[in-house]
Amino acid sequence: MSAINAHELVRASLVGEVTSPVLGSSPYDVDRDGRPFVPVGAGGVCYSVKVGSPAAGWVADQVEPGVSIANPVDAANDALLLYACVGNAVTVRTGAAAGARGVVTGKHEAFQLYKHVLVHLDDDALERAAPGDQLVVHAYGRGMRVDGLPDVTCHSLGPELWEEWNPEPRDGVLRVRVTRVLPPEVVGMGSGRASGVTSVALQADASDELADLRIGDVVAIREWDATYVTGYHEDRVLVAVVGTGDSPVLGNGAAATILLSGPAAVFDFALDRGANLAEMLSLS
Amino acid sequence: MSGVVANARVGDLAFPWAADHLEPAVSAGNPIRERAYALQFLSCVGNVARVLTGPAAGAEGRVVGKHAFVLIDFPQDALDELAPGDRLLVRAVGQGLRLLDFPDVAPRSCSPALLAGLGVAADGGRLRVGVAAEIPAFMMGAGLGMSSEWANCDVMFTRKEVVERLGFGGLKLGDVVAMHDQDHRFGRGFRRGFTAFGVVAHGGYGGVPGHGIGVTTIFSGPADRFELVRDPDANLKRSLQLA
Repeated sequence: MSAINAHELVRASLVGEVTSPVLGSSPYDVDRDGRPFVPVGAGGVCYSVKVGSPAAGWVADQVEPGVSIANPVDAANDALLLYACVGNAVTVRTGAAAGARGVVTGKHEAFQLYKHVLVHLDDDALERAAPGDQLVVHAYGRGMRVDGLPDVTCHSLGPELWEEWNPEPRDGVLRVRVTRVLPPEVVGMGSGRASGVTSVALQADASDELADLRIGDVVAIREWDATYVTGYHEDRVLVAVVGTGDSPVLGNGAAATILLSGPAAVFDFALDRGANLAEMLSLS
Repeated sequence: MSGVVANARVGDLAFPWAADHLEPAVSAGNPIRERAYALQFLSCVGNVARVLTGPAAGAEGRVVGKHAFVLIDFPQDALDELAPGDRLLVRAVGQGLRLLDFPDVAPRSCSPALLAGLGVAADGGRLRVGVAAEIPAFMMGAGLGMSSEWANCDVMFTRKEVVERLGFGGLKLGDVVAMHDQDHRFGRGFRRGFTAFGVVAHGGYGGVPGHGIGVTTIFSGPADRFELVRDPDANLKRSLQLA
C-alpha cells in the first residue's frame, strides 16, 4: 500500500449495536405515484438481501443488507459514522454470534431519522445476530491521502478496500475501476451533507445505467464535489459505493457511500462491472 | 434565516446579498412542534396573513414561500415595525386544490388567489404558464426526497461562476420558475417527462455546497400538460399585487 499514507493512519475501536427498525404511528409512507406502502428494509438484520444483490426489485425502501449498527449515544454514533470506513474489519462482541468477523460495507443516513453503519456478516453469524448485539468496528482510514495526488480527497474508504480495489496513481492521475459513470442529476437526497458520514441517493429515473445496479457497486458521479460537503461542481467528480437497495420514494434511491472525490482532471475511470464489494472483498 | 429582514423583499434580486438562505421579509414559525407542522403544511403561497400584536398590529401581508418557516411579505412600513415575537395569523387555504380540467396536474401549497394571480390559461389541453426562468434537473439539491408541501427545494447556485455561466444573474425573489424533469406531486424528485413549478423563496449565494436558493413547489404534472411562456416579470410581486 505504498500509494497511501497507511503509516500515518490511526486504528480505533468503535462500538455499535445492531439496530431495530423504527416506524412512526402510521405504517405507510407514500410512493412516487401517491400510493401508500410499508417501508420495509432499514434497520436490524436482513437475511435475504446481500452485498452483490440487485439494488432494485425488492418490496422495500432502501433495504440495508446484512446488519445495520448504530451507537445509542448520538455523539458516539456521529464518531462511529465518521471513523468507520468501507472495508474495515468488524468483530461481533456480544450475543449468540460473538466472535464472528464482518466487514463495513456502507453508511446510510435518513434525514433526521437515523444514521447507520452497514456490516456484512456471513450467513452463519447473520442467523445468530440480533438487535442489541454489540459489534466493534476496527475503524481505520480516516485521514487517508494518496501519495502525489493532494487534490484527491478520501472519505469513507478503508485501506483494506483500497488494496483490493487497487486504484492506480500514475502520472498525476488516479486510474479507478468503477461499474458506471453517472450524470449529475442522478443525485437526490443527500446534497448539502457532510461527505464523511453520509450517503447520497441515486435516483433510478435519472439514468438508464442504473437498471442493473447492484448493492456493492462502485459508481462515479460527474460534476459533484464532496471535498467537505456534497454539492454540484462542474469540474469535480465523486466516487461512491452502493450501500442499500432502491426506494419507491421520489428523490430517493439506492444510498451510496462516498469513497473518493476531486477534480475531474485527476481521475481516469476504467469501466468494470466487477467493481463491486462482493467480488473485491470476497463477501459471501 | 429567521426573524425580520426589512430590506430584502419579493421582487428584489435573489443573489447579490451577503447572506445564506436569505429569507425575505418575515419568517414565521410556532414553538409547538405539531402546530409548526400544521402551519408549515397548511399555509399556501398567496394566503393572507395579519399581524395580531406589536406596533404593526392590523397590518396585512401575504405568504410568499416556505422554508422551515413560513415566509410572509408585508408592506414596508409594517416590516419596519415588526419584530421577533409578534403574533401573526395566517388564513390558510389551498391544500387540496384541484384543477378540474387537469386532473393529472397537482397543485401543492398553491392558494386559489395565487392561481388566479398567475394568469395560468388553459389552451388546447395544456396550461400556459409564464415563467421567469427554467431550471435544469442537475441543479436541484437539498430538498429532493422530501414532501412536496415541506419547505422548498434548493437549487445549487452556491458559486457566482455557476450563476453567470447558466445565466441566472437576474433571478429575483418571488420569481415563478419551471423545474425540468421534476415530479413534485407526492414528494420531490427527478422524473423524466414531468415538470414542476415553484416560486423563489430564499436567496443569497450561501457558502455550503448542495444548498443555494430555494424554490417552493406550487404545482407539478406531466410536461406535455404545460406550455411555458418566458416572462421576466412572472413574479409574486405582480401575481399577488404586493405593495
